[in-house]
Amino acid sequence: MSYSLESNTMLEVQNISKSFHRKVALDDVSLNIHKGEIFGMLGPNGAGKTTLIRIINKIVQPDKGLVRFNGEIMTQNHLSQIGYLPEERGLYRSMTVENHALFLGQLRGLSKADVKLKLNYWLDKFDIQNWRDKRIEELSKGMAQKVQFICTVLHEPQLLILDEPFSGFDPINVELIKQELIEMKISGKTIILSSHNMESVEAICDRVALIHQSKKIMEGRISELQETRKKGEYAVRFRGSMIAFVNALWTGFEIVDKDILGDDKFVVRVKMRGENKFEDLLKVLIGQINIEAAWEVLPSMQEIFIDLVQPKIENNHAQ
Amino acid sequence: MRNSWLIALREWKERIGTRSFLMLSILGPLTVLVVVYFLFILGGQTKQHWNVLITDPAGIMESKILPKEDASIHYSFADGYIEIKEFEKGKRFQEFDAMLEVNEKILTNKTAFVFFREKPSLQMQTRIQYQCERRLEEVLVKQFTKFSIAEFRKIKQPLTIGFRNVYDPNDESSDLRGWVGLFYGTIIFLFIFLFGMTILRSVSREKSNRIVEVLLGCVNPRQLMLGKIVGIGLAAFLQFAIWCLVIGLGLYFMRETLFPNLLDPSNMNIAQLSMDSQLGQEQFFTSREYNEFVNLVYERVNFTDMTAYFILFFIVGYFFYGTLFAAVGASTGSESDGQQFVLPLIFTLCFALYAGYYSLMNPESSLSTLFHYLPFTSPVVVMVKLAQGYEPGHSYELFISLLILIISSLAVLRLAGRIYSNGILQFGHRVQLKHFFRWMK
Repeated sequence: MSYSLESNTMLEVQNISKSFHRKVALDDVSLNIHKGEIFGMLGPNGAGKTTLIRIINKIVQPDKGLVRFNGEIMTQNHLSQIGYLPEERGLYRSMTVENHALFLGQLRGLSKADVKLKLNYWLDKFDIQNWRDKRIEELSKGMAQKVQFICTVLHEPQLLILDEPFSGFDPINVELIKQELIEMKISGKTIILSSHNMESVEAICDRVALIHQSKKIMEGRISELQETRKKGEYAVRFRGSMIAFVNALWTGFEIVDKDILGDDKFVVRVKMRGENKFEDLLKVLIGQINIEAAWEVLPSMQEIFIDLVQPKIENNHAQ
Repeated sequence: MRNSWLIALREWKERIGTRSFLMLSILGPLTVLVVVYFLFILGGQTKQHWNVLITDPAGIMESKILPKEDASIHYSFADGYIEIKEFEKGKRFQEFDAMLEVNEKILTNKTAFVFFREKPSLQMQTRIQYQCERRLEEVLVKQFTKFSIAEFRKIKQPLTIGFRNVYDPNDESSDLRGWVGLFYGTIIFLFIFLFGMTILRSVSREKSNRIVEVLLGCVNPRQLMLGKIVGIGLAAFLQFAIWCLVIGLGLYFMRETLFPNLLDPSNMNIAQLSMDSQLGQEQFFTSREYNEFVNLVYERVNFTDMTAYFILFFIVGYFFYGTLFAAVGASTGSESDGQQFVLPLIFTLCFALYAGYYSLMNPESSLSTLFHYLPFTSPVVVMVKLAQGYEPGHSYELFISLLILIISSLAVLRLAGRIYSNGILQFGHRVQLKHFFRWMK
C-alpha cells in the first residue's frame, strides 16, 4: 500500500484485533483519522474503545493488525507527538501543579524551560495563575481535570486522544474545553475524542466511528450519517391554531409529534407520504398559520447511536 | 532511558521528602550506635570503683596486696573472721562492695571466695583474681623458694596456647567476624524489605489513583517499572549512605571521646608487652579479657572490602527482589489486595536471613554452599562468607555467586516486567495465583 496518496491521514488503524483470554475486545477494527479533524469514537460501555485507544498509545499490544502514525508504523518514539488523556486519570496528590507539569512535560520530551513557558501560557489562558504552587490534593475534582487537560496539551502534540474529556467538568468548563479543542483543530491538530456526551460530539466532531461489541459498525462524517439515517421528517414552528394546522394538512402528510411552546405557538414534526416534498408542505400551510421557521429534521447523534446499538443488544438478548 | 531517569528522579524526590524517610535516616543509625555503645559499656566497665574488704585471719597476705594503689579497687584488711551475714548486714561493712575471704588453707587448696553485693564485671573479677594471685605468688615464692620475686617473675613466663584452624592458620576467619557479615546481610535484607514494600505501595497507589495510564501514554511499562525501582533504590542508597556516615562518625566520636582507651596499643598487642613491669603483666592479664567486640568493630573487620561488596550485592539483590515487589504491586486489584502475595516474599526474605545464620554456624556444609549460590539467599550468605574470609584461591566463588545473582536479576526483571505490563492496567479484580502465570506469558 502506498502512503504518498494518503498524506492527509494522520492515523491509520489497520485490522486491529485483540482478545483478553478468550474475550474478544476488538475484532478486525480499521479506522482512518485525517489530519486536522476532530474524530469522535463512540460506542457503549465495554465496546472496545478504551482498548483501541490503548493500542494506539502502545499501552496494549494488538494480537493482529497495525497502527500507522503519519504514514509510519507506530513506535514508542511517536508517543511524544501524541497527547493522551485517559478516561480514568489521576495525578500525584502531593505534587504541585507546576511540578506535575514539569514531570509530565519532560516525559513528553520538553525541556524544563519550555514546560515553564507553556505552562505560563495555559495558566494565563485559563486565568489560574494562582494554582501554580497548589498541591493537587488542594484542588477540587474539576480543577484537577483542568490541570490534567493542560498537562496533556502542554507539549503541543500533533495528535490529541481524549477519552471522556468532558466528564467531571461543569457546563461552563465543558464549553471552555470545547472551545480549546476547536481552536486546536483550527491550528492543524488532529483530535480523537471518545465520549458519551453526544451533544458535544455532534457539536465539535467532523467525523465519527461507532464501535459496538468489538466491531466498528459505522464510520463517516456526521452530516453524512445524519443524511443517510434521516426519516423524511420536517419541523414547522408557527403561531396560530393547532386545529388550523391540522385542517390545512391533507392525507399526503402525517403528524409525528408536536411541542407546545405557548398558548398559540407550536413546533410540529411532519412526515411526508408518497411523493410529497417539503415545498408541498409549505404550500398547504402558507395562509393558514404564521410560519416562523421550518426545517428538515435530522437525527441527532444520540438517536443514531441508540438506533444502531439498541437492535443489536435486543438481538443478543433474544439469542 | 531518559524517561526512566525522570521517573526515578520523581520517585527519589518523593521518597526523600517523606517524614518516614527522615525518621529512619536519623533513628536507624542512632539505634545502632546506642546498641554499640551499650556493648562497649558492658564489655569494658573499667572506670567503676570497687571497695574490697579482705578477711585474712591467718595474716597470710600481711595486710598488703599491691605495691601501689589501684585506681579502680581499694583494698582494706580485716584480721579476724567475718561471717557472711555480718558482712551483709553490718553497718560498718556497708561501705564495702565485696569481701574477699582468705582462709588458712589458701596456700594449699588455692581457693578463695569473693562475696559481692552486686555482681562485678568480668573485667573487675579478672582484676581482683589477678591481684590476689600475684600477692599469693609473692608469699609462696618467699616461703618455698630461694628466689627473689623479681627473679621468679623473670623465670615465670605465661604460656599462651592459641587454637587455630589448619586451613586458617592466621585466624582470619572467625564466628565473630561472621556475625558482622550476618549483620551486613541483615541490613541488605532490611533495606530490601523496607524499600520493596515502598515499591509495592507506590505501584499499587499509582494504579488505584489511575495516574499509571497517563504515564503509560509516555513510557512503556518496563521503563516505568525500572524508573520506579531505580528511584526508590536511590532513596534506599541515600539512606544507607546516611547510615554509614552517621554510624562511622558515631564510632569515631566514641573512640575519641567516650572510650579513648578502647584502642590503647597496650590492650591490643599482647606480644609486645613488657613482661618485666608490673604494669605490663597486668595489662597482659587484662588483655585476655579485652572486649572482643571493640576489637572486632575497630580492628578486625575490613570495612572497606565489606562495604564495597555490600554495595554490589545490595544493588543486585535489591533489583532481584524489587522487581518481584513491583510485579506483585502491579497485579493487585486494589491497594490492600496485594498483602497476601507479599507474604511469600517476606518468608523468602526471612528464609534468606536464616540461611545466613545457618551458613555462619555450618560454614563447611553443602547446604551453605547451595545458599551461597542461590540468588534468593546469596546476598546475605555471601556477606557472612566474606566476613569469615574465603579460603585462599577460592575468592572466585564470590564472583560466581554475584554473576548468578546478576543473571537471575535480569531474568526476574524480564519475567516480572511481563507481569507488570499485563497486570498494571487490570483493575477491580481479586488477584489470584493464576493471574501471575497468565501474565507471565
